[in-house]
Amino acid sequence: MDELYLDNIDEFVNDHDKIVTYKWLSLTLGIHVNTAKQMLFHYLDHKRKESSAQLHATYLVSGKFVDNGQTSHKVSVVREEQLEDVKAKMSLIVSVHVYSVQKALLKDSGPLYSVDYDAVKDNLKNCSKYSAIRCATAVPMSSLELQQAREMHRPPSPEPENKKPAMNGNGILASKPSAKPAKGIMGMFANKSTPKNQDSGREIKSEQKEDAPVVDAPKSRPAAKANPMMNFFGSQPASKQHFRKNKRIEDSDSEEDKMEKKKRRRIKLPEPDSSDEDVIPDSPPQMETREASPSPKKEVEAVTHSYGNSDGKIRKRRRVLKSRTFVDEEGCIVTEKGYESESYSETEDDFQPTKQALRDPFKASSSKDDEKKSQKKSSASANKGTKQASIMGFFQKK
Amino acid sequence: CRRLTEQEYSMVADILCEFLEVAIHLILYVREVYPSGIFQKRKKYNVPVQMSCHPELNQYIQDTLHCVKPLIEKNDAEKVVVVIMDKEHHPVERFVFEISQPPLLSIRFSSPLLIRNDTLLSHVEQLLRAFILKISVCDAVLNNNPPGCSFTVLVHTRDAATRNMEKVQVIKDFPWIVADEQEVHMQEPRLIPLKTMTSDIVKMQLYVEERTQKT
Repeated sequence: MDELYLDNIDEFVNDHDKIVTYKWLSLTLGIHVNTAKQMLFHYLDHKRKESSAQLHATYLVSGKFVDNGQTSHKVSVVREEQLEDVKAKMSLIVSVHVYSVQKALLKDSGPLYSVDYDAVKDNLKNCSKYSAIRCATAVPMSSLELQQAREMHRPPSPEPENKKPAMNGNGILASKPSAKPAKGIMGMFANKSTPKNQDSGREIKSEQKEDAPVVDAPKSRPAAKANPMMNFFGSQPASKQHFRKNKRIEDSDSEEDKMEKKKRRRIKLPEPDSSDEDVIPDSPPQMETREASPSPKKEVEAVTHSYGNSDGKIRKRRRVLKSRTFVDEEGCIVTEKGYESESYSETEDDFQPTKQALRDPFKASSSKDDEKKSQKKSSASANKGTKQASIMGFFQKK
Repeated sequence: CRRLTEQEYSMVADILCEFLEVAIHLILYVREVYPSGIFQKRKKYNVPVQMSCHPELNQYIQDTLHCVKPLIEKNDAEKVVVVIMDKEHHPVERFVFEISQPPLLSIRFSSPLLIRNDTLLSHVEQLLRAFILKISVCDAVLNNNPPGCSFTVLVHTRDAATRNMEKVQVIKDFPWIVADEQEVHMQEPRLIPLKTMTSDIVKMQLYVEERTQKT
């Protein structure tokens, strides 16, 4: 490899202040992802030997993780400082490589997703061109097959095995192109939609066989049921939830690790609810210290069951994450987020914006802040009624 | 070429105010003006952003932008500035959003409601996404702020302040005042450009003025 790429990466990182992920580098330079990973590694190595450059890196760690006797495959993106820690916790490490290099210390993982977004969107049709993930039977369907598949609707009726991989693969591409860019990353955000998990599932398989890029996916397909997730984890339904549960915990953990210790977040393990498709977290307990705040919970909706209606609209019940705000005995505002059943019909918009307040951390801090808070209080309290349609629209959008 | 209609100006102002809301929250998060615990990951422009959950903070920001919106609609707002101040109320950083709207639209936008134009909106969304990303990593080019900082929002108007004061006092009990000299100008600022965007409906530039000695 000639050394020109080092200058290239240097320009991106130092001059343009970019976050350079291996995926972005691969798409920008038109190289295989594994080459990109190696380039980033060499760049880091080179830069650190040459000068004490202020560079930060994130790594992708993938392997087996044992939690309460249950083994699962865990893929996480971690900061450099946490790398050894996370590696030590894994029972088996399948793959570790540089995920990104940047100048700034990232406070959270959000920008890692954003930075790839446009590059992948532009290359949507061939974003796996340089990828190490391959499935020989995943070919786009002809328009006739596509039409047939659409007529089947839900659930997909049993079809010849060789058709299924194609349908799953293409179904994902057709229905959720925006899910594709995120693959392993979006899995971290604990989104519940199946296609994303399937993508992560695929990526996991390939990580295990990094030298042999061809993923032998069809082998597991014969055991398939309607749920594509089962294909990869083959075992009882609990595994699907479990996988997600681990993704969520691991995501919370990574985020938790990234926070300062003094924040003292408590992440409660979500308990699977048998009637729900998705894992629901418990509402956070009240914290002792005033500095701490409830752990961030992802808002998840699950449709538990639906029943028909006489006028043709389907009314469904769903569990919605709602926040309840109240002032406790110490005079602090407390938020409790909990799941409540709510009835809605398919044609309605999403739930109304929930009022959210946190245990007011400012009470304990300096008087200047209190002063400011009271100023805000006086102006804010008079305006509770004012709603600005366009900005509130932000909260209603998903 | 044609002028934008009032409705279109209003829609552009909407887009800008929505963006500014997200940007202000993100600046508060990235520059650690408030503890990260009050922030929650949300989605905007299809990417994750950090928004505060604190009701009074959110109300304050919303009210501020609600008042700024009429100025933007009339293209009276030249700059919207998020000023971060130390304990003594001296500014340490100023995030300056310079906004300008083209008076005339090019001929290809002949249909009246150009804002329904998906290509245009998608393009603008992409540009705003780049701003968000740049704010997320601005730590790399800025020095740390001292603890105990607070923030305020200033609007620089093109015309005389007196005329615009009436326009901006939109919400009862949410008064706007003419800013102090010390809030507006910083001693020996370093200028750090962050991002520029040009589109058919709006031009925006974001840069940071940073005080050389912060502590």
